[in-house]
Amino acid sequence: MNGRRVLAITRRLLQQFRRDHRTLALLFVAPLVILALLGYLLRGGGSAPAVGVVSEDSGPLGGAVATQLLKSSKVSASEMDRPTADDRLRAGTLAGYVLFTADFSLRGRQGVIAPEIHLEGTQPGPAAAVVGAVTAALQGALASTGTRVAPKIVYLHGGSNLDSLDYLGAALIGLIVFFLVFIVTSVSFLRERTQGTLERLMATPLRRAEIVIGYMLGFGLVALVQAVLVLLFTLYVLHIHNEGSVGLIFVLVALLAVGAVNLGIFLSVFARTEFQAVQFIPLVIAPQVLLSGIFFPVTSEPIPLQYLSNVLPLTYAVYGLREVMLKGSDLTTTALQVDLLVGLAFAALVIGLAAATLRRRVA
Amino acid sequence: MRALDGVSLEVRRGEVYGLLGPNGSGKTTLIRMLVGLVAPDAGEVTVLGTRMPDLEVLGRIGYMTQAAALYTDLSVEENVRFFAAVTGAEKNVAEAIEIVELSDRRDSVVATLSGGMRQRASLACALVHQPQLLLLDEPTVGIDPQLRVQFWEYFRTLTAAGTTIIVSSHVMDEAERCDRLGLIRNGHLLAEGSVDDLRRQAGVDRLEDAFLKLSGGPAE
Ligand SMILES: Nc1ncnc2c1ncn2[C@@H]1O[C@H](COP(=O)(O)OP(=O)(O)OP(=O)(O)O)[C@@H](O)[C@H]1O
Ligand SMILES: [Mg+2]
Repeated sequence: MNGRRVLAITRRLLQQFRRDHRTLALLFVAPLVILALLGYLLRGGGSAPAVGVVSEDSGPLGGAVATQLLKSSKVSASEMDRPTADDRLRAGTLAGYVLFTADFSLRGRQGVIAPEIHLEGTQPGPAAAVVGAVTAALQGALASTGTRVAPKIVYLHGGSNLDSLDYLGAALIGLIVFFLVFIVTSVSFLRERTQGTLERLMATPLRRAEIVIGYMLGFGLVALVQAVLVLLFTLYVLHIHNEGSVGLIFVLVALLAVGAVNLGIFLSVFARTEFQAVQFIPLVIAPQVLLSGIFFPVTSEPIPLQYLSNVLPLTYAVYGLREVMLKGSDLTTTALQVDLLVGLAFAALVIGLAAATLRRRVA
Repeated sequence: MRALDGVSLEVRRGEVYGLLGPNGSGKTTLIRMLVGLVAPDAGEVTVLGTRMPDLEVLGRIGYMTQAAALYTDLSVEENVRFFAAVTGAEKNVAEAIEIVELSDRRDSVVATLSGGMRQRASLACALVHQPQLLLLDEPTVGIDPQLRVQFWEYFRTLTAAGTTIIVSSHVMDEAERCDRLGLIRNGHLLAEGSVDDLRRQAGVDRLEDAFLKLSGGPAE
């Protein structure tokens, strides 16, 4: 191993980056744009689903719940009669309506609170908002009649101040770094093969390990700058919830970047053109996006898919990032230790694979 | 198919050995074998007294590939400096660029160079670490006549200082400048010797005729 030769490779890669502004923009600007977009999408205060309130109740309870609903910020409720509500639901201008039947108060006094919730039915998101708003309104209304429904909710972590952006953001930091670093390395290493420079390198005293480490340092450095940018942006601009140490997040992201660099080198053997390299996106990236628990928790997957999820490296990065950022885990937490170990093992495995693909075709 | 079959040859220190043969005869394969990029199924390759492959010996070989292998998004100087750094010869960068007469285009990105200039940049990368053995795969293809003459003068100063050069070519006037020639066809070494030897063997006056005659007629 010769440090000078390793650095020769690293420096060359950085020079190539310096001249390739498009790729730099992809690495440094694209993640921020994606995250900003997501932040705006989830926290920008989009319009609440429209809900109709139909009170045919002869008693007071229906009116009380309706009043609460009209004040709700989760839905934008308005009172109407039943035929109008049915028409508007069919026309798609209502996400649903709540019907308090004539005997609503009566049955309420007998201990049965039975509002009817009519939903459009194809969109789970707004439907959940409607049901949530009605439940909240019922609680409010019952409290005013003296019947208190007051479940006490105790959060182990985070709590009601966590939103989707906190949950997704923590995982997306990992996904974005992994994805972009993987694409850029695999294409850049493929170019090394197609333009003949790899063969030329093999005719120099460079060792395989020196090439792999040189690449790791060059792309690793760029990936770390990217990680710092993404972290600063998510923590200080988007204010994503973080309970843990920023240093640990950084270690997790760095491991992921090292893994991505070497996976890129390794998989570039199986592509002959840049076009073929791009075909790795649906093969390598898409399954990980779906199965690594970013959007759907692994524990809620069917059992066979859980096995698959548990061999994907990104799964552990997502676990790890959430452990640190949402639960405030540190190195004493077993779950995080496992995630870090798997990350290390994955990095070591792909470094080995990458080095193996550079074998000189010699006896 | 065998790209090379039963080829056995020896190149002496300080000579220019020319590999002559039609397209697909195995010249590039032979050169790649010398740097350990191809392993022979049988037999052995010894370079500078060491059996290949050997990393230390690779540091004393300069290899100019047939198609210029350069980082097209880097400048000439950055390319030469990179290959120099790999062999620890950064102090020679300016000189190597001078030799191939690219000093005024030093900062040009390779993608913007003409074909011949790329070829010259590629040569600079191959000789920047002052190797003891220089392997040149059709080095003067696309290079203008004046510069070709200068290159050969430079090759001669190198061999005078003890450098060995193996060069592949199908250009006859270039072949005539070699100390010894090896005629390859279909992976076989058909004849070997100095230009005079070959002409005598074939019983003709021109090297071109000798080449055609010894290799058994025009290339198929
Ligand atoms: N990577 C490869 N895979 C399979 N066959 C190859 C490969 N490289 C070369 N060959 C074959 O080996 C034979 C010799 O090729 P080589 O490149 O050595 O010829 P050459 O003498 O250098 O020709 P040219 O004058 O065109 O450069 C050819 O038949 C070629 O098709
Ligand atoms: Mg050739």
